Amino acid sequence: MRPLTEEETKILFFKLAKYVGKNLTYLVDRPDEPHCFRLHKERVYYVSEAIMRKSVNIARNQLLSLGTCFGKFTKTRKFRLHVTALDYLAQYAKYKVWIKPNGEMPFLYGNHIAKAHIGRITEDTPQYQGVVIYNMADVPIGFGMTARSTAELRKLDPTAVIVFHQADVGEYLRDENTLF
Amino acid sequence: MDVSSVLESQKQASKATEVQRVIPLDYDLGHLMASDINVLDDKVLGGSDSAALNQYLRKVTREGAQLLINQMFDLPTNPTETSVLATLPEPKLVLPREKHVPKPKTKTRWERFAEAKGIKKQKRSAMVFDDATEEYKPRWGSKSAKNTANDWAVPLAEKDDPFADPRKKVRDEKKERMAKNQRRQQRNQEEAELKDRLPSVDPRAMKKQDLQRALTLTKTSTASLGKFDQKLKDEPRVKGIKRKFKPTADKASNERETSLGLLKQVIDGPKNTVNVRKAVKKTKM
Repeated sequence: MRPLTEEETKILFFKLAKYVGKNLTYLVDRPDEPHCFRLHKERVYYVSEAIMRKSVNIARNQLLSLGTCFGKFTKTRKFRLHVTALDYLAQYAKYKVWIKPNGEMPFLYGNHIAKAHIGRITEDTPQYQGVVIYNMADVPIGFGMTARSTAELRKLDPTAVIVFHQADVGEYLRDENTLF
Repeated sequence: MDVSSVLESQKQASKATEVQRVIPLDYDLGHLMASDINVLDDKVLGGSDSAALNQYLRKVTREGAQLLINQMFDLPTNPTETSVLATLPEPKLVLPREKHVPKPKTKTRWERFAEAKGIKKQKRSAMVFDDATEEYKPRWGSKSAKNTANDWAVPLAEKDDPFADPRKKVRDEKKERMAKNQRRQQRNQEEAELKDRLPSVDPRAMKKQDLQRALTLTKTSTASLGKFDQKLKDEPRVKGIKRKFKPTADKASNERETSLGLLKQVIDGPKNTVNVRKAVKKTKM
């Protein structure tokens, strides 16, 4: 376990800012309890300072996980968000998409979201914007990236892909052993 | 009142060889030079009459030259058959050199060694008495007693190979000696050049460093990065660059500051996103 280098922090923030924008400040500068980002086995964990200090006592090869896993660095040093970061993304997300009950299952199996399944979408969402996906009961079920802007939506046919799938809560079952 | 003496002196002053100056001139007869610091007439110099100015300057110059020549006639003379020569005193003014003071020659390795050991060069005669021919011969060179290249017979020692050419052996040895000397000359020259360029650098240490750098480079230049290469004796261990990270359990406030700084960079995006040159180009068209 070690703190992120400057370069790694930038890559991480760049990715997170796609979903939460300026709200990322609330993650870094928390009034309730100081939190920090830590790298362990190429995974980035968002962890409170108290827990981080305690985990220092555990040997590196014995430590499995700590705090909340936000994602991992790939071998090409890109950052990939995991669904475990969903709680924090949903909390501060700027753009949201709600999907109808009949679109929930296809999304939770890892498919992109078609126009027919969209219930609601935040006004003026640009193209290629990170969005958090909710079901109609306002429960966050994943996140993705818009394929079209809201302005274009009306003209498209119902089968057109509107949101690219990135992560969904179904991964808790599908990728249980690699997720944390 | 008798003014005759005053008039007399006035008459003498008007002679061409007699020049009056308020401040006496400074002479440096070694360089045949006189310097005049008397003030020139401002009215003539600043005036518009160029003819008067020229005349004035010519007069001042002539008088200066006259004074210098007067001084020269006071010098001790040395008559020769055709003329009389005056001996000039040592020059007072020190003229600066035209060229740089030559740099001391960089010493060769042997010169430095000899100096450290206190070895002095001894003068030896060029000719030596040769007992075999009973005459004087040069100490070295093609006609010296030492040169056996042209002897009509070559004695063969017991250990020598009877079928080898002894003359070729002598020739080869000489060639080798010459080559060795040439290599050393080259080395001395290179070291001297380096010393001129970088006086603080020890050439031998630098050479060693270069060699070690080349060695580490070549060792890691195989497909397996030198993993299976044979190790040399006393091969230097290559230290890689060690990555350094910030302390794992640092104060959270410290980390927050740097994180917020980076966050600002990410959110604001790169500074000056407008390419000014391109923008100007577009507006012109």
